[in-house]
Order: sequence, then C-alpha cells, then structure tokens
Amino acid sequence: MADTTWLTLAPAFLLGLTGLLVLYVDSIGHSTKGPIAVLSLLGSLGVAGVAIALPDVLGLGPAGWSFVSVTLLAMFALALFVEPGSQNRRLIAGLSTAGAVGALGVAAAFLFTFDGEPVNPFGDALVVDGMSLFFAVIVASVTAMVTVASYNYIAEHSYQAEYYALVLLAATGMTLMASANSLVTVFVALELASLPSYALVAFLKENKGSVEAGLKYFLVGALSSAVFAYGVSLVYGATGSLQLTAVQNAVTGEFTGMLGMGVVMVVGGIAFKTASVPFHFWAPEAYEGAPAPISAFLSSASKAAGFVIAFRVFTEAFLQVSESAGEFLVLGADWVLVFQILAVVTMTLGNLAAVTQDKVKRMLAYSSVGHAGYVLMSLAALSGGGATATAKIEAGQFVLAGGMMHLFVYGFMNTGAFLFIALAEYWDVGRTFEDFTGLGRQAPVASVAMTVFMFSLAGLPPFGGFLSKYLLFGATVNSGFVWLAAVAIVNSAVSLYYYSKLVKALWFDERPDDKKPLEISSRPTGLYAAVIFAAVVTTAMYGVFGPVSDAAVEAAAALL
Amino acid sequence: MAGELAFDIAPAIVALPFASFLVALALGNYMPKKGASAGIAATAGSLVLSLFALVTVAGGSTYQQDLFTWSAAEEVPLHFGIFIDPLSAMMLVIVSLIALLVHVFSLGYMNDEGETGLPRYYSELGLFTFSMLAFVMADNLLMAFMFFELVGLCSYLLIGFWFRQDGPPSAAKKAFLVTRFGDYFFLIGVVGIVATFGTARFVSTDGQTAFPVLAEEALVEGGHGVTTFLGFGPEAWFSILGLLVLGGVIGKSAQFPLHTWLPDAMEGPTPVSALIHAATMVAAGVYLVARMYGFYALLPTVLAIIALTGGFTALFAATMGVVKREIKQVLAYSTISQYGYMMLALGGGGYVAATFHLMTHAFFKALLFLGAGSVIIAMHHNEDMWDMGGLKNRMPVTYYTFLAGSLALAGIVPFAGFWSKDEVLYEVLVHGLGSAGTTGTMLLAAYAMGLVAVLFTGFYTFRMVFLTFHGEPRTETARDPEPVRWNVKVPLVVLGALATVAGVVNMVPVEKVLGIKGIDYLHQFLDPESELVTNLTAHHYGEVLHDVSGYTADATAFGSESVTVLVSAGLSLGLALAGVGLAYALYGRSPTPEEHTDKLGGLKTLWYNNYYQDEYQVWLASGLTLPLAKVADRFDQGIIDGVVNGVGRTSLTGGSYVKRIQTGIVTNYAALLALGLVALLLIVGVTGGWFA
Repeated sequence: MADTTWLTLAPAFLLGLTGLLVLYVDSIGHSTKGPIAVLSLLGSLGVAGVAIALPDVLGLGPAGWSFVSVTLLAMFALALFVEPGSQNRRLIAGLSTAGAVGALGVAAAFLFTFDGEPVNPFGDALVVDGMSLFFAVIVASVTAMVTVASYNYIAEHSYQAEYYALVLLAATGMTLMASANSLVTVFVALELASLPSYALVAFLKENKGSVEAGLKYFLVGALSSAVFAYGVSLVYGATGSLQLTAVQNAVTGEFTGMLGMGVVMVVGGIAFKTASVPFHFWAPEAYEGAPAPISAFLSSASKAAGFVIAFRVFTEAFLQVSESAGEFLVLGADWVLVFQILAVVTMTLGNLAAVTQDKVKRMLAYSSVGHAGYVLMSLAALSGGGATATAKIEAGQFVLAGGMMHLFVYGFMNTGAFLFIALAEYWDVGRTFEDFTGLGRQAPVASVAMTVFMFSLAGLPPFGGFLSKYLLFGATVNSGFVWLAAVAIVNSAVSLYYYSKLVKALWFDERPDDKKPLEISSRPTGLYAAVIFAAVVTTAMYGVFGPVSDAAVEAAAALL
Repeated sequence: MAGELAFDIAPAIVALPFASFLVALALGNYMPKKGASAGIAATAGSLVLSLFALVTVAGGSTYQQDLFTWSAAEEVPLHFGIFIDPLSAMMLVIVSLIALLVHVFSLGYMNDEGETGLPRYYSELGLFTFSMLAFVMADNLLMAFMFFELVGLCSYLLIGFWFRQDGPPSAAKKAFLVTRFGDYFFLIGVVGIVATFGTARFVSTDGQTAFPVLAEEALVEGGHGVTTFLGFGPEAWFSILGLLVLGGVIGKSAQFPLHTWLPDAMEGPTPVSALIHAATMVAAGVYLVARMYGFYALLPTVLAIIALTGGFTALFAATMGVVKREIKQVLAYSTISQYGYMMLALGGGGYVAATFHLMTHAFFKALLFLGAGSVIIAMHHNEDMWDMGGLKNRMPVTYYTFLAGSLALAGIVPFAGFWSKDEVLYEVLVHGLGSAGTTGTMLLAAYAMGLVAVLFTGFYTFRMVFLTFHGEPRTETARDPEPVRWNVKVPLVVLGALATVAGVVNMVPVEKVLGIKGIDYLHQFLDPESELVTNLTAHHYGEVLHDVSGYTADATAFGSESVTVLVSAGLSLGLALAGVGLAYALYGRSPTPEEHTDKLGGLKTLWYNNYYQDEYQVWLASGLTLPLAKVADRFDQGIIDGVVNGVGRTSLTGGSYVKRIQTGIVTNYAALLALGLVALLLIVGVTGGWFA
C-alpha cells in the first residue's frame, strides 16, 4: 500500500499549488496560450501512460499518478477557457481565496478529527500534530481574509497574479514552519515564508515608503537569517544533530558555551520573525510601508508562524522533562531567562512606543510588537508551576495553550484592524488619528468592526481578546510568574489608552477644521466582507472559545 | 420529566414578550395601536402557555432544564436554566394574566387618551413582562438576580415614562436607587452563596445539589461540602447570607425601611402601577423568598426578622394609608402593607399562606389599580379623592368591580382576600403559640401588629371607596365623568370575578371547621409528588421548620383546632368590619362627608409626612453618605488617579524616548540588533557560567 502520510500536509500543498496555479493562469497570454495548451495536454496523456504502465515510479502509486494526470488535464482546460491578455482579476483572486479557504477547511477538519498521534510525512524532518494543524488553521484563515480584502485593495495595481502567488507561497512557508521538526526544515520553511514577504512589502513599486520598507525588511531579515543559520550550525556542531528530538538526546555537558551561543542565536532568529525586541526594528517600518493587507498578513500569520517554531524548537530540543527530579531541565542555555527578558522588554517597548504614535498604522505596528511580548510569556513562564513534574507539565501546557489561543484570536482581531486600515487607505482617508475623525458617521459598519478590534486588542470583554488574554495571563500566574503577569497587565492598561484613542477619534472627536471633509465614495465588497468576518469571529469567540482552547491544550500536551 | 410538550415550549413563555419588546421598539410607530397589539398577542400567548404549563404541573410533573452555560469554570459553572414547579407555574400564570390585562387596559388609558411615545411604552411593558417571567422561571439565584435587576431597570423606565414632567424622572430615580441599595446586599449575598456552596441552584440536578439542600445537610449532619467565611459557624454564616439576600427583597418588595420609593412610583402611568404592584416588581421580592424557602426555613433568626419586618410594615404602612388624599397614594400604602402580610406569613412559617396571599393580592390589587385608573380617566387625571364622590351611579362597572377588590383587600368574607389574609394570620398565630422561647414571642408580636393592621386596612380601604364613589359629587368633573370603553371594563370584570372567587382554591378554615377533606387545593398543589422537587414542597418546608428552626404549630391553644380557626378568623373579620364601620360612620353616612383627619392632631402630620421617612433618608444621603463619598472621591482623585496618571505620564515620556530609537536608518537597526544579541549572550553567558 502506498504511503499516504504526505496527505497530512495537504493544507501546505493546497496553498502552494494554488500559488503556482495562479502564476500558471497568469502566464496564459495570446502567444503562449497554444503551446501551453498543447504541452499540458501532452503532459496529461503522458502521465496517464505512466500511471498505467509504471505506477510504482517515484512511489506515487496509480492514484498519485492519476491525480497528476487529472491536474494536467484541468490545466489544459483552463488554458482553453481563460481569456488571454486580460488580467483575470476575479479568477485569480477567486482561485487564491478558494485555495486558502480549502486549506483552512482541510486543516480545521484534520484538527478536529486528529487522533493525537503525530505523523511524520517524509521522515522525521516534518511532523504533523495538533499544534501544526492549529497553526495551519491560523495561517490559512488570515490568508483567506487577506486574499479577499486584497481584491479591492490592489485593484489598480499591476502584477496581481504575482501578488497572490507570493502571498500563497509565503503562507505555504508559514504552514510548513508549523510542521518543521528539524532545524534545517525550520530554516528552509522560514526562508520560504520570508522571501515572498520582502517582495510583498515592496509591492507598491511607485510608493517610496513601500520600497524603502521592503529593503529595510530584507536587510534586517538577512542579518537575522544569518544569525539564525549561525546558531543552527553551532547547535549542530555541539550535538551533531539537526532533528529536534535527536538534538535533545545528544545534548551533553560538553561544549556548553558553544551550544549556549547557538541556542541564543536561534532565539534571535525566531525573535526576528515574531518581531520581538531587539529584532523588531523592521516591523514598524515594514508594517507601515507595506500595503495594509500585507501588514495584516505579516503581523498576524507570520508572527504566529514564528511562535510555532519557538514553541516546537524549545520544547522539543532544548527542554527535558525530568519526572524523577520533578522539574524541567532547560538545555543548552538558560533560554527561559532570555524569553523572560524578551517578553518584558518587548511588551513594554511595544506599548510605550505605540502610545506616542500619531499615525494609526504605525500605532498598530507597535501594538503588534507589544502583543508578541504577551505571547512570549508562554515560553518565559515555562519553567515554573508547582513542585511536582505533573504539576509543572500541566502548568506548562496551560501557559503554552494560552499563547496559542492568543495568537489564534490575534489572527482575527489584528488582521481585521489592519484590513480596516486597508479600507481607510482605499478611501484615501489619511494616516493620522485626526484623519480618522468622523469616520464612524460615514462608515458606521466598518467603524463598529474597528471598535470591536480595538477593544478586543485591549482585552476588554465581551470580545475574544479578553478571553485569550485572560487565559494567557491566568496561566502565567498559575505558573508562578505573578510579576510577569503584573507587567503584562500594566502594559495592557497602557494599551487601552491608544486603542481607545482611535475609537474616540472614530466616533466622538470633532473633525479639525483644517482637515478636508471625508468623502467615502464606495463600499468595496471584498474589504468589507473580510473586516466584518473578522469582527464576527472576534465577537463570536465567546461561543467557540471552549472547543478551540481544548484543541490548543491538547496541542500543547503533545509538546510537554 | 422531560418530553412534556408544555415544558418543551416553556421558553416561549419568556420569549414572546421579549419579541414584542423588539417588535414594538422597532416597528411600533408603524403598527396600529402603536405596538399594543404585539404586546397583547405576546402576553396572551404567554398566558396560554403558562396555563398549559400549570395544568401539566398540576398533573404531577415538574421540569428543570439547563439552557445555556455562560461560564463553564470547572468549580462553579454559571448557567441559565428554567425551572417549572407548582410555585413558578402559578406565578407565571399570574404574571402573564396581569400583564395581558394591563396591556388591554393601556389601550384605554394610554391610546385613547392620546399619549405620545406609545411604542416606547409598549416595548418597555414587553421587556418588563419578559424580565419578570424569566425571573420567575430562573433555576438559580444568579440568573434570578440578573432578571431581578432587569425588572428594576424596567420599572425605572416605566415610572419615568413621562420624563418631561418634573415628578416622574425623580420618582424613577428614587425607585431605582432605593431598590439598588437593597440589591447591593443581594449581590453580595449571591456571591456569598456561590462561594459557600459552589452553586446557586434552587433545585438539585443530576450533577449538582441545590444550595438549600446543601445548607440543610450542613446544618443537620454537620458542615461538609460548604465553605464558611470570616470564622462564622455554618448557621451564623447562613443567616448572614440569608439577611444579605433579604436586603434585595426588602428593597424590591418595599418593606420597611426601604419602602419609600413605592409611593413616589405612583408618578408612573396607572397601568404600570398595577403591573408593578400586583405581578412584577414588588412581587419579585416575596417570590424570591418563597423560591428559596428551603434555605430560609433553616434559619429561625432570619425568619423571625422577616416576620417582624413584615408585621411592622403591614401596620406601619396601613397607618399612613389612613390620611392620604389621592386614590393612588392610598393604594400604594396598601400595597406596602399587603406585602408586609406576605413577609409576615413567610417569617411565620406559612409558606402556602404567603403564596396564597401573593396570588389573591395580585388579583385584587391589579383590580384596584385598574379601577383607580378608570376613575382617573373619568376624572381627567385628577387623583384627589376629595374632588370625587358619587361616581357610583355614573360608572357602575368600575364601582362594582372596585367594590369587590376593596372587600377583598379589607378581608371581608367571602372575598379572596379574606381567605388568604386569614390563613396568613392563622399560621403566624399557631406558630407563635406553639414555638418555644423568643421565636414564639417574636411571632406573636408580629402577629399582633398584623392583626391591628387589619383594622386600619378596613378603614382606609372603605374611606377610599366612600370618598370616591359615594355621596354627592364634589366637583364638576365628578358630576360628568368621562366614560370609559370596553378596553377598560373587560380587565376590570375579569379581575373583579377573580377577586371575588379566587379564595375557593384554598378554603382551609372551611375544611378545618366543617371537616370537609380535600378542598385545600393550593396546599395540595404546592406539595407535588415529583422526584425532582422533594426538597421544594410545602410539606418538606414544614418539616424543616419544625426540625431545624424549632417552629411548632399549636392549633389547640383555644381548645380544639376548629375553635382556634374560628377565633383567628373571627378576630380578623371583626377588626376588618370594625374598620369598615368606622369608615362608614365618618365618610359614608353623610352625602357630603367632612375631613376628619385634623382630629388626629399631631398624628395626622406624622402620618401625612410618612413618619418623616423620606426626610431621614435624605439626611442619610446628604448628611452622611455625601461627606463619605467626598472623602472617597478625594482618595480616588489624589491617590488612585494619581497613580494612573503617573503611569500615563511615564508611558508618554517613555514612549517619546522609545520613539527616538527608531531612527529610520537601517544601519542603526543592524547595529542595535547585533548589540542586543551580544547583550543577551553576555547575560546568558554570565549566568550560565560560560566564562568561569
């Protein structure tokens, strides 16, 4: 029987293939239409022949070969029907959304039917378990919202197919990050997610800010990648392994300093992806310069993907649960301390910087840094919680689940908030808080949604952000890190100031006389749909929080 | 028992008025009758479903169902659920019936009088009915509290319906604040009960035992499964909890000293007064005590306090009713007084008696208010009884129904009020005679007050009847009153019939004296044989009262039981008739009665000013609370706000520094990033001993 474990990676495959398909559709032009059609038809027939004659080649089996053949046939059909020369905007956006929604559906279905047994497709370097599916759900839902919203946002721009393809390929990378089980797959997946992101930030080619942000993002990213790769090589040098469990087994008392440097540098590489201080410098610039849907994408999905790596690498490779001693052995270096420092510095700096911003998008960018700080607590608080190993494990699962849940809710509320900014940019409202005054009256529905996002981000009930913060902070306290939770609560209180400042601007402030009156000419369907969907999920989180957090706790239980 | 159709559709009893609230709110302006039709249809539907549920309950079924768990915390799950047993089924019927009649009556009182803002009025009525029905159905104390509050909110809205005038908004605020004062204690009580028992359920389910049952177990078998606080033993702690919850009851049911809001609440439209006094707001308090009677029955101290409060309030309010000029004011004080009787009964061990009086009072008090409303329509909204007189012949329907209600209120045989008030007094008397020690003495004291109040009740009721309907008309308006239509008369007739005959459901004296077995239907009804509610039956309450609280009924103090019954009934009937007779002598005999109140001298001033209750409460507010609040405010402004502002200022200053790090120059970023990494490496290296 053919090996079907690769099917568990279906969400990633779906995203990646859709990306390629989008490019394919875009490549059908007047002169290329004929050759493409002929080639794909021939290819389809050829593969069909392989399926019949040599089904076992490459281990795909007859089913696999037939699938490839049918796909090629479908591509042939597409080539016939696609109108060449036109932009095919709807088709491309529709395909991308369908791919993202399909990936979301598959990931969610897998997650809720997951039997608790991790699967290793393609060997030990990849793993599909509760956590990877959980994050695949986050990434796919953010991707779906972003593709829907982008339909309006990039309507006037060229290279749309490339845009969608890059989004989908980056999403593929992020989904793979969730499944990476070896330092080398981590690195590859991370690059797969990063490289399209650099291009996407710079997508608005005519816009100086966008290009500049893309370049800065790329430079800081390259530096961080180098740090990360160097760290990986040090870990490899000390342990002789890259696979996470193997690393854990191979850690010895020797090479303390070398291994320790490697671990800290791995933290650095991950901190770049999660936009944690001091690796965050790219974030405010990139989020502000990028097209707003891309800011949403990066600050929600990419951040979540960064964290899933952190969760997996540090719990699998650099943590040993010693049942006998009743404690966690932190391996390599005292990375828990590193995360404690990072958590405090990141949330404080992010929130303090957000307070003084007068541009809304930049405020959101810093708030995103602040939220990374909160989630960092789930690693920072790992070592505490009770005297016995069981108690520690339980507390650890709880705090990890808190981080995951916050990322889950954040995936909706933060994406929604940035998409509202996308809407404002679409209307050419302006950038500062003052520019947003009076928007509540002009666009009440979208403003209500934005109010929901702001209050949810601040952590006010009855929105999802309250529940996830409550779970995360509570779990931190439960782990014995009262001081850390206290810092987070003070930060959260500070954040209420700048979030409500925007709400105040939207609904209550008088528009200054020197501002031109708002003119809202249209209601872009895609943007509205995405924003309202995000708001509904953020609010409805009360109803579904239970089952989702159960999934998160189970996912965390598999790690510890 | 699941599967009963009446229970499966029971949530609709509550949902219908809520729907009418939404409909009237959204579409009221576009509807004929401005939303009244929606309200009438909804309350009629609720009434039919409630009756259906009542019939099913009478057949021996009860029902409890969790509807929605809104906090699934493992130790203390909080939920909404419905619970239908005889008590709640009976109350559902009463509430939906009165609500329906009030809606119909409002057609005459509001629509025909050309009031504006009717959609608001009808939507608020719908919300009010919804809140009360949900409160009645609640299967746990927390849910009850929520809807208790919603009831309070709705009465605030409705009392202040004419918010452009001076009086109503102020009366509404007063009602809201005074009841809120009581509810404050109630809320602490709810939290205390949840913390103590881990549940606030009234009724045990498969997973959880009800808190009265837990309390009983704790007291009878020694405290297990409960947590007491502040070092109190179980009994003392439970008594504290009981008293805290009682705070809410005293506020809502307008018992001394929190009764002051109720007379002012007459500023609201009269149909609203009927609803508030007969079936919703004020009834909520007494209903709550009956609902958790299994808990109160364990606490003799609290019971004695309830009985004394009730007896005192009954007398105290009745005296004030004697001197009032306005018809609705008289009724207001009579409401306070009658709820005092119910509290008296509950405190005196008469669970069924209290429920019975709650029911009959709902009928006759709604009747009297609607009758007063009819008179007020006729008198062009003049409420002063001294401007009326002689309305008897000009509005016979109103007169005869009002008379039936008055006879019931005064407690004249055979009207409904006689039977229930008699049973209240009888129960308190026999328990007072039978129980030993202070309990007995306190009950007898409460009984004495209740008994004296009967005299006053008879007097003020018939003073009102004579002044309003008898004699010569004293003004032009009274000579030629405005006629009222069917929508006023129909509710009056329905309620008049009920006020006359409702007593038959529980003619205990007849049973006891004549020995006819089985006509104490209400007793049997409140003693259901259903597994779900074994701890919620009148019989069980009686046992608990006896075993735990030391309540003993001694029915043979005057010889045999029939003699005791006859003595008790004779006393209250005799006093009531004496009151009526006095009223007749002073106000009924002459066609042009004079004011006799001046003969009371200083007492008149005292009664007219309501014992200066308002004055001292205002002093409490302005003389005591206000300075305290100022101190708190100074603390808040100076210290709390100071800290908060400090944090704010620090973050703003800090923020502007942080902002400067972000220079926009990418080489700076690279440098800072690298420095940060080195710093991290150094910290980890030093603490990890790499350099050692």
